[in-house]
Amino acid sequence: MVTKTKGMGELFKEVINKGLCTLCGACIGDCPYTVFYRGKIRMLDFCNREEGHCYEYCPRTHTDLDEISNKLLGVPFSGAGIGTVKDVFMARSRDSKVRSKAQYGGTVTTLLLLALENGLINAAITTKTSDEKLPESCVAHSAAEVMESAGSSYMAYPVLEAVNRIPKESKDRLGIVVTPCQAVALAKMRLNPPTQRNSLDNLRLSIGLFCTWALDYGRFYEFLKNNVDLAKVNKFDIPPPPANKFDVYMGQEIKSFPLDEVRNYRMATCAYCLDMTAEFTDISVGSVEGVEGWNTVIVRTQRGMDIIADAKKMGRLDIKDLPDQSLTHLKEAALNKRARAVQEIVKKTGDKNELMYIDISDNLKQKLLGQRVTVQGGH
Amino acid sequence: MSNIDIDAPGSNQLFIGNEAMARGALEAGVGWASAYPGTPSSEILSSLAEVAKKRDIYVEWSVNEKVAIEAGAAASFAGLRSLVAMKMNGLNVVIDFLSTIILSGIGKKGLVLMVGDDPAAHSSSNETDSRPVSKWLDIPLVEPGDFQEAKDMMPYLYDISEEFGTICILRSVTRVAHARGNIRLGEIPKVVHKARFEQYYDPAAPMPTPIMCIPSSFRHMFQHVRIDKIREKFETSPYNKYVGPEKPDLLIVTAGSGWLYSQDAVNALKAEDRIGILKLGTLWPLPEKLVKSCLSKADKVLFIEETDPFLEGVIMEFAAGFSPESKRNLFYGNHTRHLNSFGELTPDAVIKAITGVLDIKYQPRDAEYMKKVESVPQQYVMDRLLTFCPGCPHRASFWAIKDALAMDGRHGFVTGDIGCYTMALGPAGFFQTRTHQCMGAGAGLANGFGQLRRFGFDQPVVSVVGDSTFYHSIIPALVNGVHNHSDFTLVILDNGATAMTGFQPHPGTGLTAMGEPAQQISMENICRAIGARVEVCDPFDLKNTTRTMLDLIEQKEGARVAIMRRTCELVRQKKEEKPYKMKIDPEKCLGEDCGCNRLCTRVFRCPGLIWDPVAGKTKIDEVICNECGVCADICPEGAITKEAVA
Repeated sequence: MVTKTKGMGELFKEVINKGLCTLCGACIGDCPYTVFYRGKIRMLDFCNREEGHCYEYCPRTHTDLDEISNKLLGVPFSGAGIGTVKDVFMARSRDSKVRSKAQYGGTVTTLLLLALENGLINAAITTKTSDEKLPESCVAHSAAEVMESAGSSYMAYPVLEAVNRIPKESKDRLGIVVTPCQAVALAKMRLNPPTQRNSLDNLRLSIGLFCTWALDYGRFYEFLKNNVDLAKVNKFDIPPPPANKFDVYMGQEIKSFPLDEVRNYRMATCAYCLDMTAEFTDISVGSVEGVEGWNTVIVRTQRGMDIIADAKKMGRLDIKDLPDQSLTHLKEAALNKRARAVQEIVKKTGDKNELMYIDISDNLKQKLLGQRVTVQGGH
Repeated sequence: MSNIDIDAPGSNQLFIGNEAMARGALEAGVGWASAYPGTPSSEILSSLAEVAKKRDIYVEWSVNEKVAIEAGAAASFAGLRSLVAMKMNGLNVVIDFLSTIILSGIGKKGLVLMVGDDPAAHSSSNETDSRPVSKWLDIPLVEPGDFQEAKDMMPYLYDISEEFGTICILRSVTRVAHARGNIRLGEIPKVVHKARFEQYYDPAAPMPTPIMCIPSSFRHMFQHVRIDKIREKFETSPYNKYVGPEKPDLLIVTAGSGWLYSQDAVNALKAEDRIGILKLGTLWPLPEKLVKSCLSKADKVLFIEETDPFLEGVIMEFAAGFSPESKRNLFYGNHTRHLNSFGELTPDAVIKAITGVLDIKYQPRDAEYMKKVESVPQQYVMDRLLTFCPGCPHRASFWAIKDALAMDGRHGFVTGDIGCYTMALGPAGFFQTRTHQCMGAGAGLANGFGQLRRFGFDQPVVSVVGDSTFYHSIIPALVNGVHNHSDFTLVILDNGATAMTGFQPHPGTGLTAMGEPAQQISMENICRAIGARVEVCDPFDLKNTTRTMLDLIEQKEGARVAIMRRTCELVRQKKEEKPYKMKIDPEKCLGEDCGCNRLCTRVFRCPGLIWDPVAGKTKIDEVICNECGVCADICPEGAITKEAVA
């Protein structure tokens, strides 16, 4: 496997022009040569460097998952679908305002608000939905700003550009909310911090979002524009399985689209993603199968344990055990995504030894290649 | 610029060729001069403009060459000696009018068209040789062989024009037009210009009206009669001469710049006793008797001319008609590959041609000497990129166009036009320009590209033109685009000057050639009246200009216009102080590291920024930086700062 860091030319050749870009944003933000525009990373000029952070941090260039897992979580990359787990349970915000604005139980927003309040962080990097109902990055310094970023549009947005924009000398204590691919890029940034940018030493809390796939920024937005009055929209929701629908809230009115129709707008690159539960974060949060209004929470690090303990102590979250069946199904779905991704990659490369960007142990590779998978994933 | 109307007959003055021609026009008593700027012809009109009021003549920069010659013909029709000047590209534009005025004839007073050719295309899109037009359209044509002739031929040509009632052409080339030499001045007559269009209905009148080109065949025949009479006249013209032995081994036939080169070459070869030179000043109609008598002097004939083998063709054609008893010559020139029919002549090329025909040994200086010669200027002149001036608005405009096209991502492109911005073919404009033809062609091409949507063409098309070009030849293309629903964006780089040819005023500047105030003709009003959407932006506001460009190229259909307005830096700095003080913080400058990798000196490449390889940082070249402030917005690290000068 080629592990050499290359430059921007190769990033475009190997990733972006091949439709593999996840829109994580690790290659933009402070680079004058690349820019995000209407759902695509564009090259304004050729930077001519043989090596660049853009290539190095991309979650679709060589990624040694064991190395990342060892350094961030203290253990090798887990063969289990949901990664390394210190604790897993279901939770929801006790604040009804948060619950109504946020997704599922509002746990992510609650944890960010708490972290700001108790001083763990003083800035939170999140994605919010703009007035045009497009996602955009947001660096929230106040509870009000965090509340503004509550909720999801399910469209991919390169939020890591906001990380790259942090001034080198900034001492902000950061919290961040990321999807699994963004978590991989963020992990690569933390492992080999740039010398010319903020080193992320002050990253105090990373919260991952469960993700089966993300919707294509450009194409899905066109779909929405043609089917709903975007000005009236106040929330998007994919209720937990087995609902199998995409809901658009417009005040009192809810317009539902079959999830199978919406799936046509997912990003092609998501088929090659191994991670459903954002394994390289402190805490991962998603929906709960069959239970509306609650989140599944996976705690992965001591930092994660600490903030959950705070939340319990301060009475910010309702916490319950995750039903065994939900956990089993979550693990199956996550493992299914892993195995399907590896098998899709082999289908693309035509070589069982050629896993594109993924560097995993032979054992795990054999296991995942032998796994029976279902074709469609939910969300 | 020299004072071309200095009142010192008989004195010697140092003039460039174009000033000599302008002086010649004054000595001919012209009352009218019109032109469109174009290298190497521009100085003729600009030097006449300087003295126009004093000499009570009318001088104008016309909107284009076609209008210039038609307006100039009117002056002739109304009884003024009239001069029209243009470069060879302009000649192509006026061919249609020439093809009728040779039939209708001119007015009572002479009409001279001065055409400046640019062999080697130093400042041109092509190096077309204008001379064949004389034969093609039956127009008398003369060409000066030196600076004195450049002046003297003017009055001579007006006399011919008036005596025979036809327009005449004076052709010059860059090396005559722009080199400087001594001129012995003549007298400038005191003429009281009086204009009136006399309307005689008697066909036998000196200038019957209507002035018209029909019946065309009859008038065509009549023009041939005129040409034959002028041929007789040219037989004894003082501008044709033979120098050399009575029976030379080789006869050189030459004209224009070839005259001095040929003398140099013969001199360098010390072959004055073996080579004769027939120098022709009147090229068409060919003075056949003179030519024939010279051909009889030698067996071998070599043609030295710039650029096309014009004399070579017409003289060989003429000689082919000689009776069988006549002397037969061996002809050499372009057809025998002794000379090229492209690029400029040089004395070396002439020497090479002569030694290729005659067995004369010539030992040129060795190659080492040549290297030494070439190294001398390099010691004093910096190696420079062909680029826009520091502070030029075009650099910013093309930066915004480049970014917008890249962000759009549909492989859009620029069709270019003629002006300083032609340099956008290269690094100056970030290689954005993808087509480059003649004036106005970029907009015409954009019309075509923009019409190809029905055939699957899905790329944005951006036609970039200058302000002077807009008035010159873009308006019909925009009308066509709106009328036929073509899909393209027209960008007008409005820098308020015809910058490339020397800041001549144009209809948008509010000033005439004679320095009088004029109505500023609003290009946005014109475009809006045509029905195009128009956005005006300041290219130095890169963000807004890029956004405007994106908005325009994403528009679904129709011709639309962006006017990028910012005064030419060379014009601005004559009127204003520098607006900013630019500084670079070396602590913040990333240099070649990941982060920018010398964006400012490697991609933006304003000559005001220099890369210091030792420090690994960018520096401001304080001598040439015009402190426009744009690079401060390019630098991603905020290392370049602009501080407003109070």
